[in-house]
Amino acid sequence: MLASLLAYWAERGCVVMQPYHTELAAGTMNPATFLRCLGPQEWRTAYVEPVIRPGDGRYGENPFRFQHYYQLQVILKPTPDDVLEQYWGSLEALGIDLTRHDPRLVEDDWEQPTLGAWGLGWEVWLDGMEITQFTYFQQLGGMDVDVVPAEITYGTERLAMFLQGKDSALELEWAPGITWGDVYRESERQFSTYNFEAASVDMLMRHFDDHEAECRRLLELGLPLPAYDHVLKCSHTFNLLDARGATSVTERAAYIGRVRTLARNVAKAYVESLDAHPAV
Amino acid sequence: MPTLLFEIGSEELPASAVVAGARRLPELVKAQLGAEPARVYAGPRRLAVRVDGLAEKTPDEWAKGPPVDLREKAAAGFAKRHGVSVDELEERDGFLGVTVAGKPLADVLPERLDAILRGLAFPKTMRWDASGLRYPRPVRWLLARLDADAVEGFGTTTFGHRFTAGAIEVGSADDYERALREANVEPDASARERTIRGGLDALGEWSDPLGKLAEVVQLVEWPRVQDATFDERYLALPERVVITAMQSHQRYFPLGENRFAFVANGGDPETVREGNERVLTGRLEDATFTFERDVARGIDELVRGLPSITFFAEAGSFADKTERLVKLVDELGGGEASREAARLAKADQAAELVREFPDLEGYIGAEYARLAGYPDAVAKAIEEQYLPDSASGPLPETDAGKILAAAERIDNLQIAFGLGHKPTGSRDPYGLRRAAIGLLRLATEGALPVDRTTAFADAELRDFVEERLEGLLDVPVEFVRAARKSGVRDLGAVAALARFLAALDDDRLEPVHTVFTRASRIAGSQGNGRVDASLLTEDAEVQLARAVESEEARIAREVEEGDFESAFDAAATLAPVVERFFDEVLVMAEDAAVRTNRLRLLSELRSAVGALGDFSEIPR
Repeated sequence: MLASLLAYWAERGCVVMQPYHTELAAGTMNPATFLRCLGPQEWRTAYVEPVIRPGDGRYGENPFRFQHYYQLQVILKPTPDDVLEQYWGSLEALGIDLTRHDPRLVEDDWEQPTLGAWGLGWEVWLDGMEITQFTYFQQLGGMDVDVVPAEITYGTERLAMFLQGKDSALELEWAPGITWGDVYRESERQFSTYNFEAASVDMLMRHFDDHEAECRRLLELGLPLPAYDHVLKCSHTFNLLDARGATSVTERAAYIGRVRTLARNVAKAYVESLDAHPAV
Repeated sequence: MPTLLFEIGSEELPASAVVAGARRLPELVKAQLGAEPARVYAGPRRLAVRVDGLAEKTPDEWAKGPPVDLREKAAAGFAKRHGVSVDELEERDGFLGVTVAGKPLADVLPERLDAILRGLAFPKTMRWDASGLRYPRPVRWLLARLDADAVEGFGTTTFGHRFTAGAIEVGSADDYERALREANVEPDASARERTIRGGLDALGEWSDPLGKLAEVVQLVEWPRVQDATFDERYLALPERVVITAMQSHQRYFPLGENRFAFVANGGDPETVREGNERVLTGRLEDATFTFERDVARGIDELVRGLPSITFFAEAGSFADKTERLVKLVDELGGGEASREAARLAKADQAAELVREFPDLEGYIGAEYARLAGYPDAVAKAIEEQYLPDSASGPLPETDAGKILAAAERIDNLQIAFGLGHKPTGSRDPYGLRRAAIGLLRLATEGALPVDRTTAFADAELRDFVEERLEGLLDVPVEFVRAARKSGVRDLGAVAALARFLAALDDDRLEPVHTVFTRASRIAGSQGNGRVDASLLTEDAEVQLARAVESEEARIAREVEEGDFESAFDAAATLAPVVERFFDEVLVMAEDAAVRTNRLRLLSELRSAVGALGDFSEIPR
């Protein structure tokens, strides 16, 4: 399924990329989306992204909630006029007969305050099941986008559940005779324990401060790309602290504010660097 | 008289945008084309109008030029701009000008239709390409037909059902509805609603507790109502949880027991039913899982999670809020049940189930309190804390519920005003007007004592809340304003006083009104100082001082006890004494000390009667 989707989008001019090398809470945070969607340059990409959301783990006991799962992310910048037709085509490429099912676009406004980002779009439903988030970005890093990109984020587990007719992601057939649960159940259990109970709060707080300082230093050196990695590290470190229940309300708001400031500064520096060294 | 059909085709609009657009279209069409649309079509992928009987030509217009006496200087330029010679200019009311002939409709339509498109206003819009046009979702086609003619710059093609029909040619304005219906699109929202209601009725008793029907009408173009079932084991969940799982996200309609209805937009009925059943099963399974985890943690453990949940930026956590509620409940005279309910009121904010289904707040907290063995009065109060949830919604039934509901609203109002988030114009993002009205209804209909002087130390907040009384009570506003300025401390009693004053016969009101307004007018800004008995020389003023002294305490006491009848009678006894005073005594005496003393006496009289309200608010 993943291979078919990537091949489908590669045929439509997307650069197929591999996952980013640090923890992301959403495929949107991958610099191939967050940074490349800034500035006026055209850009198309498709990639699978493992998303890490420490607070969403349920020890592998809940059939729908995990702290680690996969999104398949597509960016089309600028948005082609037939973007929806292209998207429906991707489902047909998976063998889904859209006339037998009830596909629907249900309003879903997307907002990510820590990235200073928002957009309008939909949840895509198939017979009532949400399989994709579709967003037209309007702002990123607190700036209006120059060119409006379309972001298509397939929930790969949901889509596979739909295709395989399964009621639980854990029961998905990953490979012949091997289920998703066989591969990830134990890791969900251990990471849930780590995220909620075992992570060292002192270390995380230290790391957050370090990554924040490093991000600022790199920005001063005119290196927004490495600086962005440290925004991602800060964001993930904060998510862990949050899952660990280690932050009071005021601290929590302060951490979110710090990540937002970093993300905005990096986005600004990145756009300025584009003028000097156009990316593509 | 030609008929126009104009359609804006877009990607799927939010239901609220469809409604907003359809509401705005008639006035825009009227402004641009001079006629109201005969039909407005609204749905997820299209907003369209049909306008009958348009004039073939726009009316001739008088273009006003320079004043006649500037003919020499300005006429030539004006004439040139309008492509006529100076001799052709006409004279009207002292001005030169020219009659500009109306244009054929077809010539002006492109710009008029464009103005309609750009004139539509929506709460939330976006950009999608370089055109700069803003709309709730991308516009993908524009169709216009003037009878059977095309309109320059606009297409003649629409799109039918997204998956079962493609592009279709609309031959003429009259052909629009038929062409779309053949392509599996019902463009008329009310026809879709009828289809859905009819389909639901055919399935038996159906309900829509969270009010989703109007939205569903705008989510489908070719509705088909189907029924489906879920496993009976989920009926073990609290009923509201099951209903919320059906309605909040999936917009299904409960049919009772383990049956539900959904509205499809197409597809193979059996396939679509199976898919929807699987989705609801997933949601119910998830709800069961979270419910059991919450119950296993227990409500007291949930309370311990509140310090880490933000209530409102700058207003602390839900633990802080809980502390404030407990204190407010005490101030409102609450007993053990309401204090316990206040302590547990926000526990469900830490519940996983509420994070999943915010609609369940209050209800599920009550359920968890019951399961943990708390008395029913406590659970009931937790459940009722958000009532009334609308201007006419039911009030809490229990005393503890009323007290907690009032505390909840007072806290929200105090916090929002304290942080400077006052509603402005039509903007009221925190629902403070609703909170104020809810509180007033608790105090009036609910007969809950609320001391307005302690609940609203902030004068601005107090005014904000009390101003809502003017709309809430079925009493002319001047009586409410008079009562607001009385010495009454209890919010509900202010309302009762307003009603009492409004119900008074003119014959009864008049003398007291006169006493107050005369005293008030003459005393002016004179402050309350002690009346010096030794400076009272004339009998009429001695009598008045005595009367004021004895009646002032009585009026105040009766007002305090809510016996406005007796208080008013007491005030009325002052009338003849005051009349004699004004007949016999010159207030503005030569001697300054005597004068001030008399003004003080009148000021005191004003305060005494003013305990019943500021009668000068009531025009005579």
